[in-house]
Amino acid sequence: MTITGVIGLLIVASFFGLMIIFNIVRNNSTEVNLRTIPAYTKLKRAIGLAVEDGKQIHVSLGRGGVTSPQSASAFVGLSMLERVIRIASAGDLPPVATTGNAALSILAQDTIRGTSGEIDLKKTKVSSAGGGLVGLTPFSYAVGTMSAIRSDTVSANILAGWYGNEIIWLTTAGERQSSFTMAGTAHLPAQAVMYSSVEEPLIGEELFAGGAYLDAGSMHEASLNAQDVFRWVLVGGILIGILLKLAGFGQLIQNLLVGTP
Amino acid sequence: MKLKFRAPLATAITIAVGLVVLSGYFIPAAASLRFISLRVGMVLAAVALLVGVFNLLSVHFRKIADKDSKGGYSFILVVALLTTLGIGIYDMYKAYAFGNPNFEWTNWIFTYIQRPVETSLMAVMTVSLAYSATYLLRRKMNYLAIGFFFVVLLVLLGTISLSVISFPILEDIRSWIVHVPAVGGARGLLLGIALGTIATGLRIIMGSDRPYEG
Repeated sequence: MTITGVIGLLIVASFFGLMIIFNIVRNNSTEVNLRTIPAYTKLKRAIGLAVEDGKQIHVSLGRGGVTSPQSASAFVGLSMLERVIRIASAGDLPPVATTGNAALSILAQDTIRGTSGEIDLKKTKVSSAGGGLVGLTPFSYAVGTMSAIRSDTVSANILAGWYGNEIIWLTTAGERQSSFTMAGTAHLPAQAVMYSSVEEPLIGEELFAGGAYLDAGSMHEASLNAQDVFRWVLVGGILIGILLKLAGFGQLIQNLLVGTP
Repeated sequence: MKLKFRAPLATAITIAVGLVVLSGYFIPAAASLRFISLRVGMVLAAVALLVGVFNLLSVHFRKIADKDSKGGYSFILVVALLTTLGIGIYDMYKAYAFGNPNFEWTNWIFTYIQRPVETSLMAVMTVSLAYSATYLLRRKMNYLAIGFFFVVLLVLLGTISLSVISFPILEDIRSWIVHVPAVGGARGLLLGIALGTIATGLRIIMGSDRPYEG
């Protein structure tokens, strides 16, 4: 095993350990200490308004596959879908979900069925929740999703998943409908597009904090704490790396990382 | 009495496969198991594609049958899908039966229908992106938005390659923006995304997050 492999294993193992420790600490404490992310505060309000007005929340899960590195943002979208179904369960209409990937579509329908079953949602509500595949290519997915956004029954849109630059059509469609639109993705160019076109963009890792802000459980908050610890470790590591490189150890470090003597 | 075996079984399989794939990255002996798991995953994803296409068809058949909804677009979609599927199957048959794997008709569809449509949409998207950048200042008039707008403008001007209006200084500024602050910012964002991805993956492996009926 190379040193890079050992470091990777250490990072994952210590991340795992920290999550468990922070989860135990969280379970013994009632205090929730999260910085304010305006997008999530406004989302909770938008869900409340949708329930009051008898409108729907639209959750778009993007077109990321489940067997690729794009899957993480798709899984966060699924986690948000589950929370939104629970929070909006008192409303007349269930949230509607759209996806651009077949496997993700099956998982979305499974999430809708599972969550609805747990909270005893009426079967008529579940069948109209969707979760279907609206398009297989980036553009066809965007065009298919636009019709869901433009629906008169939809009052808020959550775009959480993997998107390319075609997200511009979804965000502008939401703005034109004057409906609340929140968007987050792990794809950097799409984040720049979102920043310029959406009312509430989720930049960087803010998308991955969704579960913690929507009260999905103490493990979500614990994972945010673990991320904070690792962020400082990375900052320290980068600074030490700069100092070592300035001191002339750059080549030695590179050799160690690739496993050559 | 109705026993629910599905949820714990699905969770157990997810945790086991997740651990195998994760350990395959670090432990050389587990690498072959990781490849097998990923291959099975890919085959299942391909089967899911078929299920997804049937789902898409059923949704649009329902829309065509529903008198209240605009079923015209759905009708076009169903006809296009079935025609392309039929042509694809015919090309496959030709390839296996006559040893002629040039997929002539499928290539024709992609070259003369799919590609022009996607290119046109790409052009529309370029206009949408430019419009969105100008609209930003109308919606968010703050220092960050103003900075974002002028950086976009500088990079665009530095990228224009017209011999009559060439400004070498703008090209240098563009190159500096793209190679120094943009790369630095992108790395910072990617580190955050990487940490978020690790956290999401570990929550699924621990069974804390279950993006399935579990």
